[in-house]
Amino acid sequence: MRIFDRLYRRVTRSSAEATIDARRATLAILIAFLAPALLIYAGFTIYPVVRTFYNAFHTIKPQGVVEFVGLDNFRALVFADSTFWKAVANTAWFTIVATIVDVVGGLLLALCLFVRVPLAPVLRVVWFTPVLMSYVVVGIIWVWMYDYDWGLVNATLRWLGLGAFEQSWLGHPSTALWSVLVAHEWKWLGFNMIVFLAALHALPAEVLGAAELDNCGWFAKLVHIIVPMLRTTIVNLTVLSFIGKMMVFDLVWVMTGGGPLWSSETVSTYVYKRAFEWNTFDLGYPSAIAVLWFAIILLFVALMTRLLRQRDRIEF
Amino acid sequence: MQMSLSMRGVAAGLVTLAVLFGAAPIASAQETTLEVWSHEADEPAKVAFREQAVKNFEKSHPGTKVKITWYEKNPLGAALKTALPAGKGPDVFYVEPDQTEYITAGYVVPLDDLVNWNNIEPWARKVWIQNGKTYGVPQEAYTVELYYNKDMLKQLGVALPASGQFTQAQFLDLVKKARAAGMTPISQGVGDRPYPGAYITVEALLRKLGPDDYQKLFTGKLSFADPRVVEVLKWVKELADAGAYPKNFMTLKLGESHYYFYSKPGALMLPMGSFYSGRAFVPEDKGGQPKTFPLGIMQFPAMDKGACNDCKTSTIGASFAINAASKNKKLAGEFLDAMSTPDMGKMWIETVYLQTGIKADVKSFSGPYAAYFTELMDRQKGKQYFVGQPRDMVTGACKDAFAQVLNSGFPGGLLSVDQTVEAMNKACYKL
Repeated sequence: MRIFDRLYRRVTRSSAEATIDARRATLAILIAFLAPALLIYAGFTIYPVVRTFYNAFHTIKPQGVVEFVGLDNFRALVFADSTFWKAVANTAWFTIVATIVDVVGGLLLALCLFVRVPLAPVLRVVWFTPVLMSYVVVGIIWVWMYDYDWGLVNATLRWLGLGAFEQSWLGHPSTALWSVLVAHEWKWLGFNMIVFLAALHALPAEVLGAAELDNCGWFAKLVHIIVPMLRTTIVNLTVLSFIGKMMVFDLVWVMTGGGPLWSSETVSTYVYKRAFEWNTFDLGYPSAIAVLWFAIILLFVALMTRLLRQRDRIEF
Repeated sequence: MQMSLSMRGVAAGLVTLAVLFGAAPIASAQETTLEVWSHEADEPAKVAFREQAVKNFEKSHPGTKVKITWYEKNPLGAALKTALPAGKGPDVFYVEPDQTEYITAGYVVPLDDLVNWNNIEPWARKVWIQNGKTYGVPQEAYTVELYYNKDMLKQLGVALPASGQFTQAQFLDLVKKARAAGMTPISQGVGDRPYPGAYITVEALLRKLGPDDYQKLFTGKLSFADPRVVEVLKWVKELADAGAYPKNFMTLKLGESHYYFYSKPGALMLPMGSFYSGRAFVPEDKGGQPKTFPLGIMQFPAMDKGACNDCKTSTIGASFAINAASKNKKLAGEFLDAMSTPDMGKMWIETVYLQTGIKADVKSFSGPYAAYFTELMDRQKGKQYFVGQPRDMVTGACKDAFAQVLNSGFPGGLLSVDQTVEAMNKACYKL
C-alpha cells in the first residue's frame, strides 16, 4: 500500500513539479512510459505481420510442425489457382469503381453543402450518419433492402411500374458485386464528404471572390480553381480509399460470402476461406495470398503517390 | 535531481505495469472450472438441455464449475482454429462430423476410455470412429426429411401415396402445379449455410446411385459425368426451371426458410434435417410455427431405376469433443457422461423433439408435438440409412465447389447441367 500512497502523492503534487518534459526525460523514463504501448503494438501488429511473412514460405502442419516450401505456395497461387485470379479481378473492379465514386461523389456532396443547397444542415446529418454504423449492420440492412420478395429496392421498382427490372440483386453473378458496392458507397460517401467540406471551408475566400469578380462561371471555378486547390486532399483520399477497397472484407462477407459462384469473391474473403473453412490448419497458403496482396497494394500505392504528387506547390 | 526523477519514473512505470499485468485475481485453489464452447444459443430447448446437464454435473461434482460460452457456428470454428494450434481453447467444445481436421491434426483426444459408451447408440458412435478410435460424443442425431403443408397439398388436389413417396415425375408435376397455383413449391435458402440448397439434389443422387456409388461420388472416385448423375441433375434442373425455389433463394437464411415455410408467405414443402423442430417448436411470437400449422412429412421422391429408393440420410449433428490440451480431461469426460445419461436422452427427445445419439427409453410420446414425433418415427420404418452427408465427405476445393455449385449456383438456375458437371469434376473428381 505504501508504494501506491507514494505514487498517489507524486501524481497529486503541484503541476510545476510533476510535469515531465519529454525532451529532457532520460531514456529509462521514455522506455518505462512507452513500453506498454510498444509491447501491445509488437504483440498485436508487428508479430502477426512477421509471422504471416514467415508462414507464407512454409506449410504449417498440425501440432506445430512447420515445413519450409520456399516459393511453392506462391507458384501454386499464381499458376494454378483460378479462384484467386477471380478474386483478384473482382477486387480490382471493386477498387477502381469504388475509389472513383468515393472521391467524385464525396466532392459533389461536399459542394452541395458548401453552396448551401436547401436543407443543407439536414442533408449533412443524413449523409454522414451511415458512416457511424458498422459494416455488419449496414450489410444486414442492405441484404433486406435487396431481398427479392419484400426488399425495398424491388418494391420500389414494382411501385414505379418497373417490375420488369426487379432482380435477385445479391443472387445473380452479374449484379452481386455491384450491389455490394452500392451499399458500400451508401455507408462511406459521407466520410469523404466531410473531409472535402472541411477542405472547402479552408479555401481562401479572396481567391474565390477574385474569380467571381473576373466573371468566372461556376463550372470553370470548380475545374480551374477549387479542384487544383483541393489536390492534396483528393490525393490523400484517393490513396486511402484505394487501400481500403483492396482489403474489402466485412461487407462482402456479410452480404454475399463471396457468392454466387465466386462472383463477389474478393482477395480478403478468399484468404479467410482458405484459412478457416477448408478443413485444414495450414496457414501457409493463405499467408502467401496475404503477402502477395500486400506487395501489390504497396506497389500501387507507391505508384499512385508518385504519379499524383504535386510538383509545384500552390500558395494561397 | 535528474537521476532521482528518472529512477522514480522507472519505478512508477514498473508499478503501473505490475498493476496492469500482474495483479490477476487469485482463484480458489479448490475450485476447478471446466470451459465449454458451444453453438446453438438460438435454440432455447438445446440451451435448456445443456444447462440442465451443467446443473446435474455441478451437483455431483462439488467444487467444480462449468462455464459455457455460446457462439454462432462460424465464429466458433474461427475461434477454435486459432486457439487449438496455440495449445489453448476450452476443455470441451461443440463439433460436427464434417470437422475432421481436428482429428487429423490431433487437437482432440480419443474418448474411448474417457466416456461411458454404454449410454451411446453404437450407430451414432460409429460416425465418430476413425482408425479404431472415437473422437466425439454424438448428442444430436437427425434424418433429412421433406416437410410439407398438408392443407396446401389438399388445395392442389393431390393425395400423398400410402408410402409417403412420389415418383420423380409426380414430384415434378407437383412443383409445376404449386407454381401455377401461386404457391412457392419449396422453401429453401442458402444465405448463410453451405448445404441446404443441395438437399433435393443429393437425396435424389443417394436414391439413384445407392449408398456405395453415392459415397464414391463425393470422395472423388466417381465422375459427375456418370450417366446416372447426369439424369438426376437434369431432373433437378427441370425442377429449378419450373420455379421450385423462392426468388430470394440465394439470400434467404436457414432460419428464415423455416419461417417462410410455415408463416409468411408460406410454401408447400421444406427439405430440412429433422432439427427443424429446434426452430419451429418455439413460441409463435418468437418466430415459431403456428400451433395449428398442418405439418406433414413425406419421403423424398423415388428416382426412376433408383438403386435404393428406400435409402434415407441419417447423420449426427451436435457433438462434443475434448481438447487435447485440456488439463481436465477426466473431468471433461465425466461432463460428457453427464450430458449423455438415459434421463438426459429422454429430456432431449421430449423437449427438443429430435432424434439423439444418446440411448433413451422413450416408449410413448407426450406433449404438444407428440403427433409430430410419432409421424417422424413412422417415416423411419423400413428405411435403409446412409449415415453422413456430402459435406462430411468433401474437403478443400471440393467443399468450396459443393457450396457454390451444388448448394447455390445450380439449384439457383445459374448453371446448366454441363457446367455443373464440369465444375464439380474439376474440384472433386480425382481419377
